[in-house]
Amino acid sequence: MSQQAISSSPRPWLIGIREAIPLLGGYVPVAISFGLVAIQAGFSAQEAVLISALVYAGASQFLFVGMAAAGSPLWLVVVMTLLINVRHVVYAPNLAPWLTASRGWPWLMHALTDQVFALAHTRLPQLPEAQRLGWFTGAALFAWASWIAGTALGALAGEELMARWPLLGEIMPFALPALFLVLVVPRFTSRRWNLALGLTILSALALTVTGFTNLAIPLAAACGALCFQAVKCRPAKHSAHTQGARHE
Amino acid sequence: MSSAMWIAVIASAVGTLLLRLLPMLWMRRRLARLGQDDGIDAMPQWLGILGPLMIAALLGTSLVPKTLDAVSWLATGIGVLANLAIWWRTRTLGWPVAAGVAAFGAVVVLASWVL
Repeated sequence: MSQQAISSSPRPWLIGIREAIPLLGGYVPVAISFGLVAIQAGFSAQEAVLISALVYAGASQFLFVGMAAAGSPLWLVVVMTLLINVRHVVYAPNLAPWLTASRGWPWLMHALTDQVFALAHTRLPQLPEAQRLGWFTGAALFAWASWIAGTALGALAGEELMARWPLLGEIMPFALPALFLVLVVPRFTSRRWNLALGLTILSALALTVTGFTNLAIPLAAACGALCFQAVKCRPAKHSAHTQGARHE
Repeated sequence: MSSAMWIAVIASAVGTLLLRLLPMLWMRRRLARLGQDDGIDAMPQWLGILGPLMIAALLGTSLVPKTLDAVSWLATGIGVLANLAIWWRTRTLGWPVAAGVAAFGAVVVLASWVL
């Protein structure tokens, strides 16, 4: 979608939906898996769908049904679920400068997942102010609906789907890294950002491969931030080059 | 589902919503208090740095394939290259993603036929 097309479009929510379509590649297979896992853990299809609609946070939902099925104390289930989601605290403040005065925004924060944040963080600054609420509503609600629909599909027909198209569940999730890559690549704008972003990607990858999936995102981002600061501190004699650009 | 389980679901849902909502309200209040025309300048610098880095971290975690074998890594590498090549040409969101998934899928399907 080109910038010109967006500026002239009268229906920003439709653009939001269109631009959120790549998210489906990652959402639907994972949601189908969640529906299936929830049924196997003893939840009904309606309960699985309600968990997806109300909690709407992928990894923590898997943890929730897993721990609940294993008989863990429910207070611990809730604490662990929230701990996994703590990383979300930095998302909304990053979008805040581009949010308009509408009272709809607080309600829409329910749909601020990792993927929606990544998309919105890139797109909101590029959109005219009048289109931002519509765009976010379209993208966020579409992603939420696909998560709920995927859960229902997984709960009702997950086993059959996985048996019939085993490769689909393997291929479609690649849409997520493909989307994140497109969102990150334009940010490689200077040596400082190149090093910080490169280190973040590599450390997140390494942490995930070694099994620290839930810690990978905050830890890798912290590594990248330290690198960003270290690169700034080291070449003090070049500081004149960096002046005038907020984050270089 | 027992009523205790329902309470746990609702507590998790409300807690997750608050984790997403309260920082937004805090930041909005801060922006209003500072009253600057350009909201980005009112944002703490660490927050502006952390945003892109969180997306980079999401990329790093999502690049790891489900099965850690040579074919999956090869498919990931080729998918990434196809994605970057189409992004370089088009500078759009949708086409690079479609090309990346197609290239990744082609390698996985070919490998399943050959191996």
